[in-house]
Amino acid sequence: MTAHHLSVRFRYGLRHSAPGQIVFLGLIWLFSQEVVRATGLPLTGGIVGLALVLLLLATRRISVLSLRRGASWFLAELLLFFIPAVLAVLNYPQLFGLLGLKIMVVILGGTVAVMGVTAMTVELSGKWRARHAASHALDA
Amino acid sequence: MPHPMLSTLDPWLATAFWSALTIAFYLLAKRLYRRWPHWLLMPLALTPALLIVVVLLMHASYGDYMHGAGWLLTLLGPATVAFAVPIYEQRALIRREWPVLAFGMVAGSLTAIGTSWLLATLLGLNGALRLSLLPRSISTPFAMQVSQDIGGVPNLTAVFVVLTGVFGAVLGDMMLTWLPIRSSLARGAVLAIGAHGAGTARANQLGVEEGSIAGLLMVLVGLLNVLVATLLAALA
Repeated sequence: MTAHHLSVRFRYGLRHSAPGQIVFLGLIWLFSQEVVRATGLPLTGGIVGLALVLLLLATRRISVLSLRRGASWFLAELLLFFIPAVLAVLNYPQLFGLLGLKIMVVILGGTVAVMGVTAMTVELSGKWRARHAASHALDA
Repeated sequence: MPHPMLSTLDPWLATAFWSALTIAFYLLAKRLYRRWPHWLLMPLALTPALLIVVVLLMHASYGDYMHGAGWLLTLLGPATVAFAVPIYEQRALIRREWPVLAFGMVAGSLTAIGTSWLLATLLGLNGALRLSLLPRSISTPFAMQVSQDIGGVPNLTAVFVVLTGVFGAVLGDMMLTWLPIRSSLARGAVLAIGAHGAGTARANQLGVEEGSIAGLLMVLVGLLNVLVATLLAALA
């Protein structure tokens, strides 16, 4: 069996195996962590790995089929991975009093504002763009 | 005081116990929410709540829990790498709508940071607590990173991100009926930029188009915030 043959078999196997893709994404992350450590980049391994994968996909070095199943798993179960951080509330019992109430006001007020501003910005810039495109079409 | 039984527990056994409990509660919450989609049963809210009850009942501490289940946080690293796939798959949408997407992300992020700062200051919250509130609108792996970069407490930020997600999903439904917006682009953007992953899950229920717009924007807005925060931290 030649090296080329093995590589083809590996790629074929990877496209059909979600666990294989999960491990593959983990390896890319470990590699990126090493890159960050070696170069002293002020970014995390996750961000460098994301950029690396985008680059490999854009230059067609890897097919999205070799990652899609694994990536879907990571994105679908994202919540599970940060639950341990959320339990940190145990260390802040004061959050269950007046302080927590104030924080809720910040979160609710802020979220309403973000949603309102985002809605208006996207809706209006979308309309502006559509009109702009229409007038350009008339020019042509 | 840690529970006598728990403190004598073998570390491997403790890891197995807290990890299995976390995964079991998570799967249970997902199943319950699928059956009864009420916001109080959102896995985002229910899983931590159940775990907190068990930790308190066993007189364990956050430290005990983290020793056991903290390794799950490591998986946020490869999960961040996985975010490359939705960006790549939505490249046609980015090419077509990038000015609108960019405007929405910048306006939404500035509003999130500005209103959090303003409201926190008005209510007398300051220091690391106020800083930890600033990145609460973006997805957890990004938000914790930003919190770290700007001098907040990443774990507190994770708590605020979850609260934003739970209440943002409810607020999002109300805002979408109340706001005069019709395009699926705006509807997806409102949910993703306002309530990250929880909003994106709601967007997926609204429609395929809203869902893919939200899935893309949730990642892009997180990335934008991380890159700006990294730049600021490097300059400071």
